[in-house]
Amino acid sequence: MAKKIVVDPIPRIEGHLRIEAKLNDSNVIEDAYSSGTMWRGIEVILKGRDPRDAWAFTERICGVCTTVHALASVRCVEDALGIDIPVNARIIRNLMNATQVTQDHLVHFYHLHALDWVDVVSALKADPKQASVIAQSISAWPKSSPGYFKDLQQRLVGFVESGQLGIFSNGYWGHAAYKLPPEVNLIAVAHYLEALDFQKEIVKIHTIFGGKNPHPNYLVGGMACAIDPNKDTAINIERLSMIKKIIDDTNTFIDQVYIPDLIAIAGYYKGWLHGGGLGNYLSYGDFPETSLADFKTLLWPRGAILNKDLKTVIDVDPRDASQVTEEVSHSWYTYEKGDSKGLHPWQGETTPKYTGPKPPFEHLDTDKKYSWLKTPRWKNHPMEVGPLARVLIAYAKGDPMIKETVGLVLSKLEVGPEALFSTLGRTAARGIECKQTAGFMRHYYDQLVANIKTGDYRTFNSDRWDPATWPAECKGFGYTEAPRGSLGHWIHIKDQKIKEYQIVVPSTWNASPRDANGNSGAYEAALKGTPMINPEQPLEILRTVHSFDPCLACASHLFDMNGNEITTVKIV
Amino acid sequence: MSAVNSLQESSTFPDTVHFIDGGTQGIYLLDFIESADAVIVFDALIPLNYDRRVYVYRNNELPDFIHRKMSSHQMGFSEMLGIAKLHGKMPKKIVMIGAPPKDLELNIGLSPELALLLPEAVEQARAIINTWLSE
Repeated sequence: MAKKIVVDPIPRIEGHLRIEAKLNDSNVIEDAYSSGTMWRGIEVILKGRDPRDAWAFTERICGVCTTVHALASVRCVEDALGIDIPVNARIIRNLMNATQVTQDHLVHFYHLHALDWVDVVSALKADPKQASVIAQSISAWPKSSPGYFKDLQQRLVGFVESGQLGIFSNGYWGHAAYKLPPEVNLIAVAHYLEALDFQKEIVKIHTIFGGKNPHPNYLVGGMACAIDPNKDTAINIERLSMIKKIIDDTNTFIDQVYIPDLIAIAGYYKGWLHGGGLGNYLSYGDFPETSLADFKTLLWPRGAILNKDLKTVIDVDPRDASQVTEEVSHSWYTYEKGDSKGLHPWQGETTPKYTGPKPPFEHLDTDKKYSWLKTPRWKNHPMEVGPLARVLIAYAKGDPMIKETVGLVLSKLEVGPEALFSTLGRTAARGIECKQTAGFMRHYYDQLVANIKTGDYRTFNSDRWDPATWPAECKGFGYTEAPRGSLGHWIHIKDQKIKEYQIVVPSTWNASPRDANGNSGAYEAALKGTPMINPEQPLEILRTVHSFDPCLACASHLFDMNGNEITTVKIV
Repeated sequence: MSAVNSLQESSTFPDTVHFIDGGTQGIYLLDFIESADAVIVFDALIPLNYDRRVYVYRNNELPDFIHRKMSSHQMGFSEMLGIAKLHGKMPKKIVMIGAPPKDLELNIGLSPELALLLPEAVEQARAIINTWLSE
């Protein structure tokens, strides 16, 4: 009989992503279902509030990419009210966004995803001298002596011996799907720790411009930071040189650690090209060089690709009611005029109606409604969003930097572009993009300094700050490309208050349940066809789901005094 | 958050004591933990079936784990402690003050049951900080 694997988050009160995968007799995934087990509900909280405050609420949707919702929110309010922001504000927002993407990709690769490819316990068996030889052959990064790796190995041994593997007790160590030699595992573990240490520096840029971190300050009409090269309390020469140093260090770390690691690790896994999935890719684009409305100047281009056809990039308009829609045929919501009809977010509704089983439950009834995520579609197509989508769209449009970096990675791995349509391709695209956004940080720093030198210190346009200047009723759309993909906020303002607010987040695209036509979402499609070595330890499922960098409701984190596992695996 | 705000509003501490609203953050809090000599954290606790009162845990009583998880969003505070320990940068003193929540429905603010416990949690923290400052 066919087996079913259920990967489920616990505690249920936190709520997260649940995957149910059906296996055939050879343990290959025949079908998969992705369910968000918790309601986000921020749209309801926002109703009736001052649109100028919306960013502060939406920023707290996410504990990982904190700034992206603030950015999309101020952009949608400015779009609705017709506000142009000063040049400095545009540059600072771009710099903060590039900082966010760079830091987020780095943390994702090392902290969440690396352990899907890297076996910590195998690193204990490595020869530190050999690890040093390998590390020095792939990078000029100075922390690569035999003594450095030996010390680290001894520290790891200490942790592992402090009882049952200590803090690493929850891994699938020794799983046959791990392919790296012990020395490469040791190098990767060293960089895992270095990356977590280093990433703390990158976000200091957010503290400088946003006034505080976590949850830096944004502002409708610009940015809430003053620029004055000669004042202690403003963005001055001292702060700018601090930013410059962080940017330089970040570029060095990515060039000398992240990219060489990515290529070294991928080289051992290039035979494992599962997880491609839909083959449909969408990006709203981001990093405006002029106004946001002029999307032709975006450094990350806007567009869509269908059926892996890299020869054709189709134009995208998220304001068009026939393009971006959300339906709820398999989601625990109800629409006034029928759950199967897709609604554009400006017509969107958020009425929860839970019809699933009472937790704890064995199975979701996947023929009916089975997720708290809605089902977004672009012209009725399920789409993948995120780094792979953006890199493919830029590649297809002939972006020189992306063409060159993709070409370099492919040639080092000795694979063709078709290898990009895979879990590994998604992981490689994130690294390629991280290198690109670290370059954007330099670009925006230079732009900012050049603009300040002209004597322009403006960061805020107050023309429409007073609600008395607003129209009685208006609508706006704000977008950004978050680390995980296309993010849109749609607002409807009436009588100076929020009448409706709809957010379509990247992981709703990727983790969506089926639509009324039975089409799978991106996670569901990507899991199909993947062979499992040991269904009790579904490392392959985690690998592919992690490659999308899921972002579901963060909700209220609780502190579990028993240190219980937060994810269970059951075979039923 | 209510506890931090309350403590900060009535604070007479020197400016070596910092107040941080950790929000929903995970890894962004690592720097604050690793760079501090001593840390007090207010949080909601599980198991939910614990008696509803204020709990205080110190140093090694706090669990540290790197969990197998579906996304970076599941990175909790125990994981921050695990990483700080691996880095060899754990604060010398760390205290967790918390209580099991009454109500996890969508709302802003504390339930009345937890609001009753708030003054005690804040006073416990104030006493601990005063002891640290006098050492």
